[in-house]
Amino acid sequence: MSSSTGLPNRVIPVLALAAFVSVWLLNLGVVQPNRIVAGTGYGLFGATGWLGAGIVSSLLCVVVVLAAKPIRNRFWVLALLLTAALMSLPLLLEVFALRKLPADSAYARIGIGAGFWCLAFFLALMLLETLSQLKASRRLQLSVVLLVAAGWWLCAAREGLSSLSLIREYANRADQFSQALTVHLSLSIGAVAISAVLAFGLALAMVRRERLRRPLLGLVSFMQTIPSLALFGLLIAPLGALSAAFPALQALGIRGIGWAPALLALIAYSLLPMVRNTYVALMEVPEPVVDAGRGMGMSERQVFLQVKLPLALPVIMEGVRITTIQAIGLTAVAALIGAGGFGTFIFQGLGQAAMDLVLLGALPTVFLALAADAILSALKFQETPS
Amino acid sequence: MRLWLTPVIWIAFLCALAALLPTMAPLFSWVESGTGNLIYTRDSFYTLLQSHIWLVLASATMGTLVAVSAGIFVTRPAGRDFMPLVSQMASIGQTVPPVAVLALAVPAMGFGEKPTLFALVLYGLLPILRNTLAGLGGINPAVLDSAKGMGMSSVQVLFKVELPLAGRVILAGIRTSVTINIATAAIGSTIGARTLGDPVIAGLVNGNTAYVLQGAILIGLLALATDSVFEAIERTWASAFSARTHKA
Repeated sequence: MSSSTGLPNRVIPVLALAAFVSVWLLNLGVVQPNRIVAGTGYGLFGATGWLGAGIVSSLLCVVVVLAAKPIRNRFWVLALLLTAALMSLPLLLEVFALRKLPADSAYARIGIGAGFWCLAFFLALMLLETLSQLKASRRLQLSVVLLVAAGWWLCAAREGLSSLSLIREYANRADQFSQALTVHLSLSIGAVAISAVLAFGLALAMVRRERLRRPLLGLVSFMQTIPSLALFGLLIAPLGALSAAFPALQALGIRGIGWAPALLALIAYSLLPMVRNTYVALMEVPEPVVDAGRGMGMSERQVFLQVKLPLALPVIMEGVRITTIQAIGLTAVAALIGAGGFGTFIFQGLGQAAMDLVLLGALPTVFLALAADAILSALKFQETPS
Repeated sequence: MRLWLTPVIWIAFLCALAALLPTMAPLFSWVESGTGNLIYTRDSFYTLLQSHIWLVLASATMGTLVAVSAGIFVTRPAGRDFMPLVSQMASIGQTVPPVAVLALAVPAMGFGEKPTLFALVLYGLLPILRNTLAGLGGINPAVLDSAKGMGMSSVQVLFKVELPLAGRVILAGIRTSVTINIATAAIGSTIGARTLGDPVIAGLVNGNTAYVLQGAILIGLLALATDSVFEAIERTWASAFSARTHKA
């Protein structure tokens, strides 16, 4: 256990104070008469009454006391407390809906206010700090995240939250949502897979021929500098012309607008991190190790497959991680040129000024990026030779 | 001085093109056969370029100020407790796609320049913060000890030793941040900011490829020009430093 566990922690009280101030000053939730009209906001007290406000405030006080007093095992208690609080946070919204939603209107819905998001954010930060004080293992961190996710999932599935506007927007579009998920995942994973193969070839070429190094790296970093919207735009005209000239391409779906330019641009962006990491990884395998392999009578092929590649894999995987996260974000932008995916909801929502539709696109995009980060860093962790 | 030739050429090219694009209608008739306009006229390209640059410059300035002061704070004895949390926040925050930050700023702040600027500052400070932490953390403790041994106060150590030594890494962070923000600002036109993304979005909505190309070309040029400016700054910085060490 770390030596600092006995000392008063200053970070958690600061965060708890920030949570306290924001949850009392900002709106916890909003009641909207329908989808577009801005609703009436309710603060913590107005939304959840004495009970809700009391529970939230006393939780924050307990957290401050626990963080400040040098009690034994207090960080474990804090971790439990904060996990439970985060898991059950949507219940606040359920209480709010129960109290304030007009029963007679079929279109009335409740929206999530800034106060709720701030509370969730600061609780998460406090949990993060607690876990790092505990020097929590990856497995523990992951189980905490999964617990919180399960809690939110269970709350969202309950009848009490069916009037939440985010859930209404989802319910209206359940089919489109799963389609967007498929498109988003296949575009980003497809781009990463294709660029991984391409980058591997390019990196091998760079390792074999030093002359190619500068021009190739220059080219891929040039691509990375061009902003996504510009690259998507620049691909429209040539691909449009191609598909007009060759009807066979058009039959395949390759047009100026749609998945084809999106995939091409995503591959172009993925090349820089992939090529750079793969090249560095292959170059950094220590020469004595390679020599030892040769000395054992391995052929060049065996040296490459059994020595160089396994040693280079962690750095290559880091490239895959960065690229995947980047591709998930860029796929959302690609919705502007009709590629589909969660970006469609974002830009539709922005066009209609329907904020919950924007959330329905933006939150899953963030979630996918965080999940990809967690999964790929777990893989990288396992493959690192101890 | 020759270092600055490339950026000057890029910038001149960018300004010339922004001024001359409206006269190039015949060129764009190649890509846009429809009967619509061939040149985006709702705003002059110059206005859009100016407002795009302003957004990026303002967000880079604010982001740098916030990130560097936060980085300095958590590396001082008074703020060291916050170090693990701040560095974790910087790396987790960068996992969130910039377009999502932009989209999420709208429910919080409405449409227009303000949410765009907010999103740009918020997202742009993360790479600067991470590089500030890396730069300040990467300084050899022996160097700091000898500075203190020379009788420097902690403020002098910060401004005369730590920041100059970490400067290149911080500058690299600012470069990453500005590159991301030029791209994100372009998407900002979907939430009502006036940027070079406007012609692209208008073109996509109305199916006018000429508009899309005009916006895309200018955004691309702006990104390349900015990148070459940073390249020149980094080289100037490096040569100034090596000159100083030679003299010493």
